[in-house]
Formats: sequence, C-alpha cells, structure tokens
Amino acid sequence: MSKSIDRLVDHLPTSGLTVRVLGLLDFVAPGQWQNITGFDNMIRSVTGESDAVMVAQIRARALALYNDSSQGYQRAISVYQLVDSAGGKVGLSSMAHMLGEKVPLLSFLSSHTPKEDKAQTLDLALKLIAELVAFCNANGFPGDSISDFMSAVGSYEKENLIRLSAIVVFDGLIPLGPGYAAKLMDSLSGWSAADLEKNAMFQRVKGFIPGGDSTGSAFDFFSKATTAMNGYVGSFASDRGITVEKVLDQMHGIIDFSEGKLDLLAAFLDVSTNYIEHTGIQSVSRSLIERAAGEI
Amino acid sequence: MKKLLLVLALVVAGWFAWRAYNPADQLPVVIAGKSFNKVFPDSSNGFTVQFTQEKEGYSQADLLKDGKKLAHFSVSDTNSNPTAREKFKSSTKQLAGSPSAAVGSLGTAILVADRYQVQVRSTDPSFTAADREAWILKFKLGDLKA
Repeated sequence: MSKSIDRLVDHLPTSGLTVRVLGLLDFVAPGQWQNITGFDNMIRSVTGESDAVMVAQIRARALALYNDSSQGYQRAISVYQLVDSAGGKVGLSSMAHMLGEKVPLLSFLSSHTPKEDKAQTLDLALKLIAELVAFCNANGFPGDSISDFMSAVGSYEKENLIRLSAIVVFDGLIPLGPGYAAKLMDSLSGWSAADLEKNAMFQRVKGFIPGGDSTGSAFDFFSKATTAMNGYVGSFASDRGITVEKVLDQMHGIIDFSEGKLDLLAAFLDVSTNYIEHTGIQSVSRSLIERAAGEI
Repeated sequence: MKKLLLVLALVVAGWFAWRAYNPADQLPVVIAGKSFNKVFPDSSNGFTVQFTQEKEGYSQADLLKDGKKLAHFSVSDTNSNPTAREKFKSSTKQLAGSPSAAVGSLGTAILVADRYQVQVRSTDPSFTAADREAWILKFKLGDLKA
C-alpha cells in the first residue's frame, strides 16, 4: 500500500498552478469546491462535527476502512493517481507534435507522435472512463438500477463536480472546441484496440478497467462506457453556460497565452497540473468519512 | 514406545483439530449493502432519496428537497464494527421500538434487532433533531427485524 489516506490529504498543496486553475472553475459551479487540506479538517467539514473525541472516532474508522484493500478506496486513489501521472506523457507528445508542425527541422516528430485531435479525444475518453471506474471503487454501485447509478453520477457536487468540470473544460472544450462531444464520438468510430494498446494512459490504468487483462475486452468496455457517458458529458458545458471565451477570460489572469494556441494551452495544463489526483484524493476521503460517520 | 504413541496421538488429534477449524467461523457475517436499499424511505412529497454509496455491510443515501441536500441516511451492519453497539447500551430513549442514541451533535441513530444501525445525519442547519427522528420512523424497519 502506498501512503495512507490521512497523509495524502494532509499533504495536499494549498497553492500552486493546480489549485489556481481549479479555483478559476468556480464560475462553473459557484461555491462548490473548497480546497480542503488536512484529514481532520476534512472530517470536520464533511460531518459538521468539531468535538475532538468524535473526530478521532471517525478518523480511526475511516483509516480502518481505507487500510482494508478489499473496500475499494485504495483502488480509487490509485486510478486517480495513475491518470494524472500518465497524463503528462500525452501532453508531452502533443507538444512534440506541435513543434513538429511549426519547426521544419523537427518535422520528424510528426511521424513519431499521435495526431493532435486523436491524442486529445483518446485522452478525454480515458479520463472519463477512469472517473467511472474510480467512482465505482469509492462508492460501490449505489442503488438498485442503472438509473439510480446514473442519478448518483448526474448529481455530482463539490470535488466530484469540479473534477468533472475540469475534465470537460481542460480536456474537451479547450483542445477540441465546443463540438468536443461530437469529435469524441467521431473518433470513437475510428479507434481500434490497437490504438488503445499504444496509448500511455491506457497502459497505466488498464489493470483497473473491467476486462483490462485483454485489450479486446477492455476496448469493448471502453467503447460502451464512452458512448454511455457522451450524452451527459456532451451537454455538460452547454447546460452550464460554459464557453471557451468565458474560460479564457478566467484563465488570462493565471496563464499568459494567445488565443490561437489553445492546443498548446491544453497540453501545458496536461503536463503542469494534477487536478484529477488532487480532487480525487478529496473525493475519496469524503466518501470514506461519510461512511465512517455512519458506522461508528 | 508409549512416548511414541503419545506423540502420534497428539499429532492425529492436532490434525483433526486443524481440519475442523474454519477461520470463517471466527468472523461475523456481514450483510451486503445492497440488501439494505429496500429499507430506505421512498422519494415522495417533493423529497428525493438518492443512493450515493453501497459497500459490504453499508448503504447510504442523501435526502434532497428542490436539489438541496438536507441529510445523509445510512444503514450499516454493526458486525463490521461491533463497538458501534456500545453507545446504545446506555440508551434511555426508544424510537420505533429500538434503542436510540446521538452520534455527535448532528446524528441520530437506532440499533435494530441488536445489529443494524440506522442513522440520519443533518447536513443542513434547517434539518433538526426532530426531523431526524421523524425520518428514522419512515425507514421500513420491519425488513430489518425479519
């Protein structure tokens, strides 16, 4: 087992680029996300309890649940961590591709790196699927029907909502434009199991994807899950009035860039932030603490 | 020779004792969380009960009204955490025929059939202790007692 959950939450940063770009998404979901760091702070925030004995009881039960690997919380953390650690590679390959296009001497890079849209759509799809897999590991399969389950996903809030917003904005809207969902579905029809096999992020997370032992089975799950998520994710930006212009307005105070280089901005965010891991640790600790409070 | 027979007898007795030992017998059985879902109150009168977490021995739902979260509901099998039963031993209050206890300042719980903890926790200040007790009574507790 890697770090315990209390240490992970205790060591979350309170500043830096990841925290700043997550903060700029406040306009998407006003007041939903606060950068809560420190495990006991998270217990107090989630439960509303401040009594030291009560907090200690919840902490002890939460740690016992987390340390039991069969409960799924550790796996959820691993998925979030692996997505972000693999994300850097996709960003780097995208930047290499752009250099290949703009600098003739480096044009050989074009033949060695994925085409931009293909890399970005595959990246977006894998992040969405990883989100589903992590959610199921952290929360089980709540309810008695698929509609109960989709209702739980559809009512995302706080860290979950800000993470999903960030995936849609940073990995969908910015690199692919307002038609990101249509591009995703267009790309899906052209992908093969071999494309997955070559993808760095897939290689990292495939052990957590149902059927991941076989690339063919994982691809089957990947296709079905992407199709199932597309409707919800496709209307996510338009339902909330999120546009490229609004996002760029917010971002200008943080990152200096020209509007014609959105692909470069997306690649930069990909390599220089770990917003999935950051908010993933907060989400899993919230689920864990809610359950611990219910079981003590 | 007697010592050898004694050793042999001990070895044979030990082997049978080992065969008879089943570690599963030592662990309390914990019920799957899914079996608790039917116990939760139904959505009605503008209130929505939305399931949010389901694990071994545990199921959890949010209570919402007009999209605003008011409370957490949970049902847990205390076989997975037997110390949770302790607080009910000094209970002086009963709800729906089961001992009731406070869980911190924002939670109210009952212990059904000496095993299943049903808890309601306020997540919004407007949801009072009286609301928690009223909603505990809406759980279909007969299914837990059966």
